[in-house]
Amino acid sequence: MARRGTLAAYGGLAILFALLPLVLDPRGYEMRVLCLVLLFAALGQAWNLVGGLANQISLGHAAYFGIGAYASTILQQVAGLSPWIGTLAGMALAALLALLLSVPTFRLKGHYFALATLAAGEAMRVIANSWSDLTGGPVGISVPFNPGSSVWMMQFQTVRPNYYIFLVTLILVTALFWRIKTGAMGYRLRAIKENEQAAEVIGVDTYRVKLVASLLSAAITAFLGTLYAQFQFFFDPDTIFGLAAFSVKMALVAILGGVGTVAGPLIGAAFIIPMEELANSYFGNSAAGLSQFAYGIVLVAVILVNPYGIVALFARLRGGRRRDRASRGGEARP
Amino acid sequence: MSRMFWTRAGAVTRRGALAAGTVALAALATPLSAQESVNVGVILPLSGPNAQFGINSRNGIELVANEINENGGIEALGGARINLVVADATSNPTQAATVAQRMLSQDEVVAVLGAFASSLTLAISEVTERRQVPLLTMSFSDQITDRGFEWVYQIVPVGSELGRATFDYAVALAEANGESLDRVAIMYEDTAYGTSQAEGLRAAAQEAGVDLVMDEAYPLGITDVSPLINQLRRSDAQVVFPVSYLNDSLLIVRSMRQQGIEIPTIGGAAGYIIPDFREGLGDLTENVLSISPAAYDQAPDLTDRFREEYGYFMVHEAQEHAALMGVLVSALEAAGSTEAAAVKEQLDTMTFDEGWAAVMTGGEVEFDDQGRNPNAVPLMVQWRGGELVTVWPEEYATGEAVWKTTSAGE
Repeated sequence: MARRGTLAAYGGLAILFALLPLVLDPRGYEMRVLCLVLLFAALGQAWNLVGGLANQISLGHAAYFGIGAYASTILQQVAGLSPWIGTLAGMALAALLALLLSVPTFRLKGHYFALATLAAGEAMRVIANSWSDLTGGPVGISVPFNPGSSVWMMQFQTVRPNYYIFLVTLILVTALFWRIKTGAMGYRLRAIKENEQAAEVIGVDTYRVKLVASLLSAAITAFLGTLYAQFQFFFDPDTIFGLAAFSVKMALVAILGGVGTVAGPLIGAAFIIPMEELANSYFGNSAAGLSQFAYGIVLVAVILVNPYGIVALFARLRGGRRRDRASRGGEARP
Repeated sequence: MSRMFWTRAGAVTRRGALAAGTVALAALATPLSAQESVNVGVILPLSGPNAQFGINSRNGIELVANEINENGGIEALGGARINLVVADATSNPTQAATVAQRMLSQDEVVAVLGAFASSLTLAISEVTERRQVPLLTMSFSDQITDRGFEWVYQIVPVGSELGRATFDYAVALAEANGESLDRVAIMYEDTAYGTSQAEGLRAAAQEAGVDLVMDEAYPLGITDVSPLINQLRRSDAQVVFPVSYLNDSLLIVRSMRQQGIEIPTIGGAAGYIIPDFREGLGDLTENVLSISPAAYDQAPDLTDRFREEYGYFMVHEAQEHAALMGVLVSALEAAGSTEAAAVKEQLDTMTFDEGWAAVMTGGEVEFDDQGRNPNAVPLMVQWRGGELVTVWPEEYATGEAVWKTTSAGE
């Protein structure tokens, strides 16, 4: 029963978001901010697969994001290939990178894992900056301009189609996360989170489980990178592989909302992105530096009040009911 | 729940924008109705590593807008005042594009000026092009006007031209002083800016068949430059091209002086042509050369107004932004309308030689089919007693170049 109620709530939310663009200016500012909310919610959810379930805190996910953005854009520039095809190359490359990185990093735990992934993201930034022939170098790269609308080339006159692509992606990624979390793989990942050695002893192939989750997470992040490129139309290595702009932000979205939970990244993104916008529009002119300062203060305050994220606050308010439901949901899929 | 939050956020933003608009209107001398002012969007990095450049640029734009408003506004629009809508682009292109979107949909700006850093300008141009609003910029990157965009106007020489000019002018200056260049050194910070400038220099040097005896990148925020300077000494270069922002430029020039290296030093704009460079080094700046996309000594009658107002010389980004504002005002006067298409037509066809537009090289600004200003010529400037003097090309020079870097005190 309770589980059906949660599903209904998510369904209602999805319908609400599907209808929202009908009342907003399709070329307006609100639409753009909503698109960013959906993008970061999906990024947080993809990050959550590894970072949340297995507690492998990655601070280098921008590496996959950037690969997705560069792969589709370069293929479009050079060969006129549709980003829908180009993104497949990006996803494959990102998965390959995740595979390569798994060799040295999966032995690492906690801070050491975080530091290693951080270095991977930085390495990609340096490569993109110096390999000018391929990436266009530090100046950045533009998606070829196409004034008309074309679903095939993923370019539209308004951001409304982009919005729906983001929304559908977010729904799919959330559903995937839910399925993994409540399935056998979710149990294995959580076993790794609790105690990796104990998980190994009871027969969990920890390397394989972590690898599958990482590959999925990397490929989804790369796909989102393509969506971002087709939405923003211009990016440079320092941004797309940037620590603050993406790597940390997607982790922050999940952590602030509630790490390892389905609703966490959704709530985190719906909080952080408008928050940042508000700070910028209030202080952007009069006291420019203050906007980031105010934004930082709010983040610190939220984490201090709710060390387990905003989701935990609701759980606390509802008492035991939620914990009860979560465990029952898990048992439904042995 | 998230929707509720969002709706509230939107309402607050709009209210904030309204309040800001009201304050701006109230600040004007005479009461005006809303339609009697023209909103001009200004997007600049007002926080983060480029904040100082962003603030300088804003000062330049504000100076011109205030002058116009004090002298009766824009005549052809019934004396409409210019209302600057200023926003912080931070240093993140995603944010810059979002800010642009906000301006276009909430403030109905007639044009956008900005955004100093090329990456920010490129991101903004993707928004303005799709909304068909003119974007006037002084960012260097070739890419800005290389994409076939119709709504972007670049008032400065493009990056590749600057890079080539830096090298060619150095060769010319050396020749004028009876030296032929065959060994040069490049050192640059490994940022987007440093790397791309160094690339231009490298290409020009290779084309000219000049030996690069040193070609070194160093990390941003370097604290000990002595290995670099030692290498420079050993390289026996005739000229050094350091490309850097402020802090490293101070370290590099100071170390060179301490080690008694007196070869000509040619900076790559940025940190080398701002008042802080002089403040940080004092007399050690004497005779340091740098490329510059504009120079205040080309139009002292105009640029002195900036000095009076803000207390320092008119740095190039302020000068170029002032020129952009001047161009936009002339275009609005000629168009007699705030319709984007009408303003665009003037930008495409007019030659701007009045008011602040005349502050650029040659005293004229026009835009070719690509949106570039063919009259913009890179200048070589040299520090002399706390001021920048244009020393090359000859037709623009206001002083003779000194082909050696010695401190005034020595």
